[in-house]
Amino acid sequence: MLWLLLLPLPLQALGATAKTLGVSPRLVSEYVPSKSNTWTCLDGSKQIPWDYVNDDSCDCADGSDEPGTGACPNQPFYCQNEGHIGAFIPSSRVKDGLCELDCCDGSDERPGVCEDVCKEVGQAHKKKVEEETKIRKTGSKIRSTYIAYAHKEKKRLEGVIEASATEIAIRENEVIRLRDITERAESLSAAALELKQQSPLYISLVTHSNALKSLQREHKKHLQREEELSDILNALRTGYNPNYQDMAVLEAVRGWEEMAGLPHINDVGKDSVSNEEAGVQEDTASDVAEPEEALDDEMWSAEELEKDLDDLLNSDYVSLLLEHDEYVQSPTEGSALFDIASYLPDSVVPQFEGFRETLVSWLVTLGIIKGETPSSTDTSHLRQALTDAENELKKVKKEKEDAENDIKEIFNVHGYGLEGEWKKLDGTCLRTEVGDYTYEVCLFGEAKQIPNKGGSTFSLGKFASWNPSPDVKPGEEAYYQKQIYNRGTRCWNGPERNVVLLLSCGTENTLHSVVELEKCEYQLTGTTPALCRPLDNFGGKEGKNSNASRDEL
Amino acid sequence: MRSVVLFGALSALLALPDALAVKSQDFKTCSQSGFCRRGRALAARAQEAQSSWNSPYSVDPSSILILPGDSTVKAVVKSSLYPEIKFGLELRIHDDGVVRVLLDEVDGLRKRYDEAASWALVSEPKLSKGIRWAAGKKELRAVFGEKNDIEVAVNYDPFRVRLRRGGEDQIVLNGRGLLHMEHFRSQTLKETTEEVVSEENAEGQEVLQIENVRAWFEGDSEDAYWEEKFSSWTDSKPKGPESLSLDITFPNHGTVYGIPQHATNLSLPSTTGESPSYTDPFRLYNADVFEYIASSPMSLYGSIPVMHAHSAETTVGLFNAIGSETWIDIAYPTKRSTHTHWISESGIMDVFLLPGPTPEDVFAQYARLTGTTALPAHWSLGYHQCRWNYVSSDDVRTVQKRFDEEDMPVDVFWLDIEYAQDHKYFIWDHKTFPDPVEMTNEVAAAGRKMVVIVDPHLKRTSDYPVYQEASDLDILVKPKSGEGEYEGWCWTGSSSWIDHFNPASWDWWISKFKTTKIDTGFSWIESTEDIHIWNDMNEPSIFNGPEITMPKDSIHYGGWEHRDVHNINGMLFHNNTAQAVRVRSDISKRPFVLTRSFYAGSQRVGAMWTGDNLGTWDHMAVGIKMVLANGIAGMAFAGSDVGGFFGNPEPEMLVRWYQVGIFSPFFRAHAHIDTKRREPFLLDEPYKSIIRDILRLRYSMLPIWYTAFKENSVTGMPIVRPHYVMFPQDTAGFDIDDQFFVGSSGILVKPVTEKGKNEATIYLPEDQVYYDYFTQYAYRGSIKGKYVIVAAELHQVPVFIRGGSILPTRERPRRSSPLMRLDPFTIRVALSKAGTARGELYLDDGVTYLHQQGELVWREFVAEQPQKKITRISSRDLAAQNPGKAVDGVALTTYDPKNAFAKEIEEVRVEKIVILGLVWKPSSVKVEGGAELKWEFVPGVAAIDTKEGTASVLIIKDPKVLITSDWAIVVS
Repeated sequence: MLWLLLLPLPLQALGATAKTLGVSPRLVSEYVPSKSNTWTCLDGSKQIPWDYVNDDSCDCADGSDEPGTGACPNQPFYCQNEGHIGAFIPSSRVKDGLCELDCCDGSDERPGVCEDVCKEVGQAHKKKVEEETKIRKTGSKIRSTYIAYAHKEKKRLEGVIEASATEIAIRENEVIRLRDITERAESLSAAALELKQQSPLYISLVTHSNALKSLQREHKKHLQREEELSDILNALRTGYNPNYQDMAVLEAVRGWEEMAGLPHINDVGKDSVSNEEAGVQEDTASDVAEPEEALDDEMWSAEELEKDLDDLLNSDYVSLLLEHDEYVQSPTEGSALFDIASYLPDSVVPQFEGFRETLVSWLVTLGIIKGETPSSTDTSHLRQALTDAENELKKVKKEKEDAENDIKEIFNVHGYGLEGEWKKLDGTCLRTEVGDYTYEVCLFGEAKQIPNKGGSTFSLGKFASWNPSPDVKPGEEAYYQKQIYNRGTRCWNGPERNVVLLLSCGTENTLHSVVELEKCEYQLTGTTPALCRPLDNFGGKEGKNSNASRDEL
Repeated sequence: MRSVVLFGALSALLALPDALAVKSQDFKTCSQSGFCRRGRALAARAQEAQSSWNSPYSVDPSSILILPGDSTVKAVVKSSLYPEIKFGLELRIHDDGVVRVLLDEVDGLRKRYDEAASWALVSEPKLSKGIRWAAGKKELRAVFGEKNDIEVAVNYDPFRVRLRRGGEDQIVLNGRGLLHMEHFRSQTLKETTEEVVSEENAEGQEVLQIENVRAWFEGDSEDAYWEEKFSSWTDSKPKGPESLSLDITFPNHGTVYGIPQHATNLSLPSTTGESPSYTDPFRLYNADVFEYIASSPMSLYGSIPVMHAHSAETTVGLFNAIGSETWIDIAYPTKRSTHTHWISESGIMDVFLLPGPTPEDVFAQYARLTGTTALPAHWSLGYHQCRWNYVSSDDVRTVQKRFDEEDMPVDVFWLDIEYAQDHKYFIWDHKTFPDPVEMTNEVAAAGRKMVVIVDPHLKRTSDYPVYQEASDLDILVKPKSGEGEYEGWCWTGSSSWIDHFNPASWDWWISKFKTTKIDTGFSWIESTEDIHIWNDMNEPSIFNGPEITMPKDSIHYGGWEHRDVHNINGMLFHNNTAQAVRVRSDISKRPFVLTRSFYAGSQRVGAMWTGDNLGTWDHMAVGIKMVLANGIAGMAFAGSDVGGFFGNPEPEMLVRWYQVGIFSPFFRAHAHIDTKRREPFLLDEPYKSIIRDILRLRYSMLPIWYTAFKENSVTGMPIVRPHYVMFPQDTAGFDIDDQFFVGSSGILVKPVTEKGKNEATIYLPEDQVYYDYFTQYAYRGSIKGKYVIVAAELHQVPVFIRGGSILPTRERPRRSSPLMRLDPFTIRVALSKAGTARGELYLDDGVTYLHQQGELVWREFVAEQPQKKITRISSRDLAAQNPGKAVDGVALTTYDPKNAFAKEIEEVRVEKIVILGLVWKPSSVKVEGGAELKWEFVPGVAAIDTKEGTASVLIIKDPKVLITSDWAIVVS
């Protein structure tokens, strides 16, 4: 009922409107009458009598004749706000009967409507600025340690690169040497091996192996399919939208729940029901777990299939073939080393065999044993040694490459910032609990939604970029105030989950809030010292910015 | 176009792509509904029998009883099929000429539901005095009307009622002999199973013979008399068959309108006869139809059994007060006549014949029966921003902040179901809404309101006090056994529904909305008077019920089955909620309660919207037609969700939809939870600025809208008016439903509802000048009607001012409408061909009921030519001259122009007057008795010219005249 306050005001009050009311200091000089007592609209479109300025009736197309009355739409009104900071408000707020903080001197309203509260507002503002400054001071100190860390990290990485470069050189030589030995040894035994490989037993073994591999592949496909299906059904169960009021969906959910031994989703959390349901659930669960038929002793259980089949299929058949030869042929040849097995108790044999192979391969590698006619076993061991050496080389190369990439990112505007202030936070995980979930963002890694009461964790996405808005330039503060994580777990009947992480300066790395503004679009807010730029920077820039933004209004 | 619509509709019904739209198998067709099947079969037999068909119903002349003095006549009607059954006929003539025809079974085995009218009627209608019924040998007659030109005649055998004017039939009941009131009977063994009937025992033969006697009328089998299955549900039908079939013929009217709600053309397409547009009858059975089709006779959320029959000569109306499921077949045997056939599942026959003869008369006659739209809170005409869901109080704050930053006006922020913990309405989810009262106060600080949803399904948990109290009071709907609580499935999971037919529920429900503690249980202390209410799902929508609603054999208060009251059900919930919001504070304030389900009379309670529409161009277009159709049936405060509930409209579509929205009485944007956010501030340029301008246009026109609402609240005239209402004699305009007028203001709108358009074709129905609202271009209509093409780029919505209109607007953008209260007015005078114009402005405080005590301002603006070359614009008071027409519901006897409200706004002035179409540049513009004013003249086409072109414009700068005072300005 603010308008009630306005009643006693006489119409004449309007007539008294000063010609420069609502004019910003920058433009005050424009608001003077010509000699003939006229005035030209600021856009030059029209000449009007000086009386028309601020007469509460819009004459200029650009609205410039009414800076202080709100008669022209989109004409900004300047509040002096003495004791605070001058500010523009849009004309829609002039004489609307409401007192705004932006216009704490109340100059936008009819006299008597709003008190001048600029002193209080100014003080509060000052206090707020002081508090922010304090936070920023502390934050920027932490930030400088982040930068120092980045420099240290850069040095460390440079060290890694250097060290790995040396190691690469050594390992490359080693690989060349091994390759040479292996190739020579292999060419000797290749012909013999070829013959042996024509053994029907070997061919059959390889065929079996291939068949088994194919079966395993198919089986895995099915398992994956089943998993995907149950994911879909679980998502359907927890996420289905009764707004679709689709009984077919409801039937599908119930059917799945029965099959998977789950309680009905809508009963979950219902105290009285859940007990009963829990009983039912156990029953059905044990039903499901019960094996359909007893297995023969030698048949593999599902668990064994899962665990041991891969090992079996990874068998080196050529080695087996050669070993087989050894069993078939009389073990007259070779050193005592190869015979020892026959004197050992059965239970120790496998270990010994392993030990022996290693020993032999090393002896061969090191050139201590040099069989004149290297057996196939030896060549396969040589091959193994070569592969291992190559892998080692690859690993070191990768290490170097990673370090090189990391070093590129450290002081990169799109990466850890020009000053490297974000490097420290790489992999730092921020968590917060909202409702039934804990939300976790591992910076530059992955964002997750973890249910507190059990259930599956959903990925909300992986780090994709800083603020992608075309209006924001990489490197400026706004660029680092927003991180995008995308391509998270797909929502039921919806898009993939995404995260927008909004960060601001703070003395700690924390998450404050999580909201799902749209389905599967999460907006997280948090603070980090990495955004607390040093005060000098801040004071100067912000001051200018705020003035600029106020002017723009 | 027409035939395309026709074929489109047919194919849509026959081969609907499942993924894209409604699951039509969730809803019955006529052939799946027993009584509809019987009704249509009856019509088919009559059709086949041709002229040999005779109604078995007749009036027993010896029973006629003319009640002395009060225009009522009673008689006994009998059916030759069942001579032992008696029906009571009663005809009453109201003092405005409306004829009410009642027929009910007398001394039957059970009682038919006879309370539908009592819920719909605003009060017991006044009967005419001094009408004389004359009982002749063949018929019973009464002649009445101001000119004694209306006659109602009841033919005895067959029973037939005719309303005639000037000797011409207007409405005929049972003219085609399809009247059939299935009497109550007992379910005997032989009737239960068909096998018995076909067996060859003696008794069976006998039954067969008896049945054969009636087969010509009722058919051979007892089709779905005692039980009916649909999908997995069984309707137990304990009362057996009780349907009512009634043919209503308009022998001299070739167009019918009304019977909302259907997504179809305003001029109702045919459903039977030669190549009908639809294969199924129009259905009235309030239903939550998911992703409904944009052209279909299927039921939707609300039902108003009101029909207008129109011709160039007369308009008549019909209100069939029935609350049960009803199917309506429409056929046009000739271009100038209409057959309708109404098939209802239960209830008495209670038909009101509205004699017209103009659309205006029919609206007034219907308004006297069921009331008008109560004058709404002024703010509720502003822009409503809704989404399922604003997820937290901070979310609401941010949305408000963004609107303010973009300087876009908005009055109301809405909260859908997710604000409530576990969808227990009233109970805030404090995890996301920790501070609902503070949040609301912050919204209210900018003059805004919140609307929060309260649905009718109550979660069945003892920790929900609203449910527990209702359960303790035993005021919940009961299952078919009549014992315990009906349980169904909705948002809340297992739920029950309050039986608002039970008077014990009324005061209790009203007390729940108190914002302070009460002694008797729960009250909504976590709310404020700035929170208003949204009633959704009140058909009722029940996810696991037959046709997504309540089983028909559920039991309501008084033992009535749900089937008897289904279509009325939603209105009672809406009504009680509105009552609650109205009286929650010490000073009554106008409630705003939006409903999805409605019935005849719902207009008295609040606003409706067209439910869960799709974000498609089709739905945008049909939304306009649906809002117009609702207006025809009295439900004037109507709108469709801007943007479409489902889907993600592209920016172009969204802009066009806002252009539709600002010209709807109710203007809300809403979106489904699965959609992307689409608040106008989120759009890129130029779309954002275009929508800002659109919103501001709505706000500038609020005085026009409020004045139209005021007129509707008194006269029942629709707020948005289709052509036939404005130009009843222009046959070319009968089918037009994509352009319309706003109240009596003279504003004509044709929103663009197609993609990629940059021009629009407008029909101008009269020899008059029409000015483009924005460019002042003067177009000329023709007495035969004329089409003109106008530019309609994306930022342009075709809006015209009819020559002869004066429009008051407020042109200063504000954040919300209450902040405009003291803003000055701009007056646009659009001169007619004759150089004259008039317009009205109604104002009051927009919040309280003080207007009913005369605290209001009602002005008339007139432009006339008292002598050659002089145009005089004057403002005068209307309220003092017409106190009886100033306010709805109350007839003021006096009016004080110095009332408190008028004083509050006495400083409000006219800041600008714009006159379009003057012939010459004036030499002088003065306030009468005052000094010369400042003005500017841009020469152009004059109103009296015959050419088209930009009109001359005279702009009078700040004439310093007050809106509440009498004044005159002379242009010479």
